[in-house]
Amino acid sequence: MDYPIWDLALGGGMLMALVAIPHVIVSHFAIGGGLLIVVTETLAVKRDDPELRELARRSSLVLILVSTVFGAISGVGIWVVAGLISPATISALIHTYVWGWAIEWVFFILEIVAALVYYTTWDKISKGAHLLVGWLYFIGAYLSLVIINGIITFMLTPGRWLETQAFWDGFFNPTYWPSLFLRTGIAILMATTFMVFPALKASAERRAGILRYLGWWMVGGVVLSYAGFRWWEAVLPATVRNLFSGAEPALTTLASTRSFTLWALTVALVFGLLILIAAPRLARAATAVVMALAAFAFFGGYERLREGTRKPFLIHSHMFSNGLLVSDIETINDEGVLARSGWAARGATDSLSMGRQVFRVQCSSCHTLDGYQSIRRALPTYDDMLAVVSDQSAGSGAFASECAACHADVSAADMREMLPTAAEMAEDPEMILDLNQGMIYMAVSQLYELGEAYGAAPRGEMINTGELHSSYMPPFVGTDEELEALVEYLAVLARGDDVEQASIGGGR
Amino acid sequence: MNPNLIPAVDPAGLPAPLWLFHVLLVFTFFLHLVFMNLTLGGTVLALVAHLKSGGRRDDFRGVLARRLMAINNYGISLTITTGVAPLLFIQAIYQQYFYTATILLAPLWLAMLALLIAGYYAAYLYKFRGAPSRGSGGGVWLSVAAVMFFLIAMIHVAVHLVHAQPEKWGNLADGAWSVFADPTYWPRLLHFILAGLGFAALVTAWWAVRRAAEGVDSEDNTAIARWAWRWALWTTVLQVVDGFLLLMVLPQPVLRGIMTGGVVTLAPLTLAILLGIGLLMMLARVTNPVEKPGLIAGTLGAMILTIAIMSITRHQVRALYLEPSTAQFSFEIVPQWGNFALFVVLLVAGLATVGYMLRRVLTSPASGADAA
Repeated sequence: MDYPIWDLALGGGMLMALVAIPHVIVSHFAIGGGLLIVVTETLAVKRDDPELRELARRSSLVLILVSTVFGAISGVGIWVVAGLISPATISALIHTYVWGWAIEWVFFILEIVAALVYYTTWDKISKGAHLLVGWLYFIGAYLSLVIINGIITFMLTPGRWLETQAFWDGFFNPTYWPSLFLRTGIAILMATTFMVFPALKASAERRAGILRYLGWWMVGGVVLSYAGFRWWEAVLPATVRNLFSGAEPALTTLASTRSFTLWALTVALVFGLLILIAAPRLARAATAVVMALAAFAFFGGYERLREGTRKPFLIHSHMFSNGLLVSDIETINDEGVLARSGWAARGATDSLSMGRQVFRVQCSSCHTLDGYQSIRRALPTYDDMLAVVSDQSAGSGAFASECAACHADVSAADMREMLPTAAEMAEDPEMILDLNQGMIYMAVSQLYELGEAYGAAPRGEMINTGELHSSYMPPFVGTDEELEALVEYLAVLARGDDVEQASIGGGR
Repeated sequence: MNPNLIPAVDPAGLPAPLWLFHVLLVFTFFLHLVFMNLTLGGTVLALVAHLKSGGRRDDFRGVLARRLMAINNYGISLTITTGVAPLLFIQAIYQQYFYTATILLAPLWLAMLALLIAGYYAAYLYKFRGAPSRGSGGGVWLSVAAVMFFLIAMIHVAVHLVHAQPEKWGNLADGAWSVFADPTYWPRLLHFILAGLGFAALVTAWWAVRRAAEGVDSEDNTAIARWAWRWALWTTVLQVVDGFLLLMVLPQPVLRGIMTGGVVTLAPLTLAILLGIGLLMMLARVTNPVEKPGLIAGTLGAMILTIAIMSITRHQVRALYLEPSTAQFSFEIVPQWGNFALFVVLLVAGLATVGYMLRRVLTSPASGADAA
């Protein structure tokens, strides 16, 4: 909370997604590709099969160009972006797992050197030596997954670490093994979808056989992925699992994501069975692209689900996604956000700018003004009000989209009864703006109370966010003055007449 | 200085004493510098050689450009790989300063990723579409790679200067470009560029001397060695001048800190200066490097030693810059000696494995049907 804030119109989350999604796809390919390529080469040597060997060779060029260049740089890129948009959170992970990252670096060295040597030495060294290099590459790459998997899973299920703060308690957390299993399947899946493209260049008489060979790998990858996914679900704490599964999931969007994820895996499997095993003659670049997209969609869906179930935390029950520590809630409520951050205080010259600074510190890690997760679209406006009272339909779409989230216990008809008429609104628009500000005040106050609930939650164990109001939101923390300043700023934003004030000024 | 602008240290503390992280940061940064010098200096030198050769394959400078970029296909990867560790350790002990600096220069810091990808792929395009595969051309790809790596160096120097001067953050927040007007910016950048050029030139000369001694393309290798040697000589001349200039433009408290720091600061600085002058003398004594292979290897060794020692001085200068601020903070130390020991054991085992692999590769040449 005490770092300067980078105002990014795109949104920090979107920027991270742009860097992280390609990275995870490529990095899993780098691991699975390592296995597939070296096994393929081993088989080729044993069977004296030059065509199979050619597949390994062609794939190794993709491996070197995509993995060692883009994979390595985008991996560093995740640190770079995290440091820009969420420095306190990446700092917490770095400080908790310095030696974990350092050990991963060792495996990274082995992986990169072996990859470079492997690609360069085709036809230049003995087959045995070349296979050794390939296996060492795979071992280095897989061991880097073994390490990073501990840190990633720790964020969602820190387990006993919450109580002991001990490195290995957090590392071998409840979802460590299922996740490793699942990611092993994903790595094979990613590698298979990539290797289909070089396989399409095989000679006409061998192509079907080689595609079938990849097809069985793909089936194996899907089976591992599915089993790993279900195992992962099973070991999640019930409070987390209930967010997206069961008869009445707490977050329906996440339930939809889960459904999408499993359907994507099914589509990938069907395509794999069809174009790789049953009828390889149907395999074309276009069908391979569809299969790859389905596999990516499964992987992306799982990652979205994992990230979504962690909300509003970065480290579950310990640190929120905006860098706020659960243990700091009470202190900041007493002292204020601006007392904590010189950068925020620097730009707060009056009430409105104070509100803006509070917004930037607490909200902007997830919300942009008008882009991804737009805060302005989430706020009640004059036009929203007008739409609700003007919409007389039985289902009342305007009510459902604008009111129902906060007023679940009120019907559309009752709401229209409570609100002024359209004519009264036209006569006195200021009244509506005041009413909107009141609603914003209520919403922020609820978030303040949410903080008190988090503060009162038992320490040392996973907090059941499903029981809380707005369970996907971090709480508001700060003094009464800061709360009112934030409400004033949001109300001005909702009017839509202060774009400049909202987006510029105050420096970082 | 406005202390409120400096974020608090991470409450998670450090899993080892601070001194250990300083040692690890300097050591791994030195490793990074060796490969970074090859990447940056080697690519710029390759571009110069390529332009001088007129893009012709038969010109010895064309051979030199291809050779340097063939090394760089590995060098760039290893620059990134070895850069990960100092990036980790700086986040561990200087996170307040480092993150703040990168945020203040956010668009540039983020652009570094795109520049790196562009530079790296341009280097590969030179290999696959330029002179190494077609015998001529590829100057555009080389130019792109050289410009990208130069810009990355500019960004790194800017971030370094911002992170080291928290007292300037208030002004920088209103206009981060002013970092380029810092009196030390250009001498510091030049110090890195010249080091890169000098080191890459020396490596090139050393390699050419070895090849010539083996009787491979004697004429070309002799010419390459002479050409590269002259580059090593003149960049080192300029480096010594620039080094003194950089020393003179350092902020007074920092300069005073070095001069009054006793043996801890003066010994590395003096040694580095003596090595720099020694390097000049060694470089100036030779006109035809092929005739003195022993001296060439010694000069390269001396330059690597200079880089190692200058890494220490650079770190001390940073510590002096930051002293007024770091004195206000202290980390909670919660040692994890078992994990550190595991890291050391795995590092030794990992490097031994890499060594074994390379030895096996070098001693297992392809032979007939056994060719991989």
